Amino acid sequence: MLIDDTIYGYAVARVKAMETQLLDQSQFERMINSSTTEEAVKVLSETGYSASVAELDDVYNFETILADELSYVFNTVYKISPVPELIGMLALRYDIHNLKVLFKSKFLGVKSDLLIPVGSLDIAKLEYAVGEDNYLLLPEKLRRAANSINEDFMINLDPQIIDLILDRVLYEQLIDAAREYDAPFLEGLFVRQIDLNNLKTLIRVKRMGLSRDFLARVLLPNGTLSVDRLTSMFEEPLESLISMLAISDYAELVSEGVREGLEKGSASTLEKLSDDFITSYLKEGKWVPFGVEPLVGYLWAKEIEIKNIRIVLVGKINRLPAESIRERIRDVYI
Amino acid sequence: MEGIEIAMLGVALAVGLAGSGSAIGIGIVGQSACGLISEDPDKFGQTLLLQALPGTQGIYGLLAGFLIMQDIGIVGEELVELTTWQGYAYLMAALPIAIAGLSSGIYQGRVLASSINLIAKRPEEMGKGIVYAVMVETYAVFALLATILMLFGIAV
Repeated sequence: MLIDDTIYGYAVARVKAMETQLLDQSQFERMINSSTTEEAVKVLSETGYSASVAELDDVYNFETILADELSYVFNTVYKISPVPELIGMLALRYDIHNLKVLFKSKFLGVKSDLLIPVGSLDIAKLEYAVGEDNYLLLPEKLRRAANSINEDFMINLDPQIIDLILDRVLYEQLIDAAREYDAPFLEGLFVRQIDLNNLKTLIRVKRMGLSRDFLARVLLPNGTLSVDRLTSMFEEPLESLISMLAISDYAELVSEGVREGLEKGSASTLEKLSDDFITSYLKEGKWVPFGVEPLVGYLWAKEIEIKNIRIVLVGKINRLPAESIRERIRDVYI
Repeated sequence: MEGIEIAMLGVALAVGLAGSGSAIGIGIVGQSACGLISEDPDKFGQTLLLQALPGTQGIYGLLAGFLIMQDIGIVGEELVELTTWQGYAYLMAALPIAIAGLSSGIYQGRVLASSINLIAKRPEEMGKGIVYAVMVETYAVFALLATILMLFGIAV
């Protein structure tokens, strides 16, 4: 069936205009080179963030600006998208994030991260559900995931299960939804994210010295690197594991990111390279005149921008040298 | 059908189809233009110029239709007696601009919607966006040329 793709005209043009407000490399460079946190925040006040920066009473509360911006951007793109369900799919990640934070604070008694008001489920509703162990208000798949987290934690007392179960249910839903809405570009995005996630899992499991069976249980299905392929690599020594991964689509991440992860156990290079990998995939759809691609790209660009601002400001607050901040900054989408 | 009715079908197709091409094309550009204007209202003038471009196909169609109407006396004092074959000749002459007007109007609109995205980021490059759209225009002009040459060849 030929669908009229020009329904995307309005949203794509609007997003293109919004893209001009994204921070570019030189603005990040100015932030990195500023001598104090206040000065770095001042750079932000000359950008699209000016209104929220003006209301900021203390630079250490910059997270509120970022959360507000993210939820504003998601809401706007959701409203202008001719097929809002596709944007809702991307917001699902935040529902899952919020559930993870709530479960961890319930089981471990620590608040590991901020709740982000972007997902389709109201935060108060999620807090109530997890706090009272009453998941009736959640969608069916999340309800089942929440119940199995509770059961599993009672038996094994292992908080890792929270991430494993929730990531699994997230990517299952994303892949199903992308297929249901016939969105191959989004499916390509999710498949890549699954692969990158699995690579990180492989490294973590290897570093922790856990078994191959455990790995097979925690890898996510539906990636291009199949679970069988990854588990068969698992017991290889470092060098041959790296050369096996070097012939996959993820070769560019392997030589630096995967090696550093396996040798030093530090994931930060791999995290950066993974984000850059997704950015370069989304850039392929940047100039599609009628389609969901530029909308997805813009939302990702905004997520990366917010991540970069956080990296710079946290670096400034902790007085990190400019060089070590610079090497963690993600490539920008524009 | 008599000759006059067949010739009038030609008028209807030339004006109707080429006009539809323009209407769809302008509609496509208009949607994109609204998206840009909601973020950056200062670009109204530029977007209006881009939106107007797919309007030419409709004008070409109307011109061709008008020439036929004049020939056959619809807009003159009295109707010209046409044979069935002369009627068909007018119908055939109307087809090039009818067909190419419809398709080029739509595709020109799509190119111009992309030009709207272009000027969202680089307003100084509007000229290039127009050049790409004019490439599509060429084929509407060729079709109009063919239509007019065919009309001139019909002896009434």
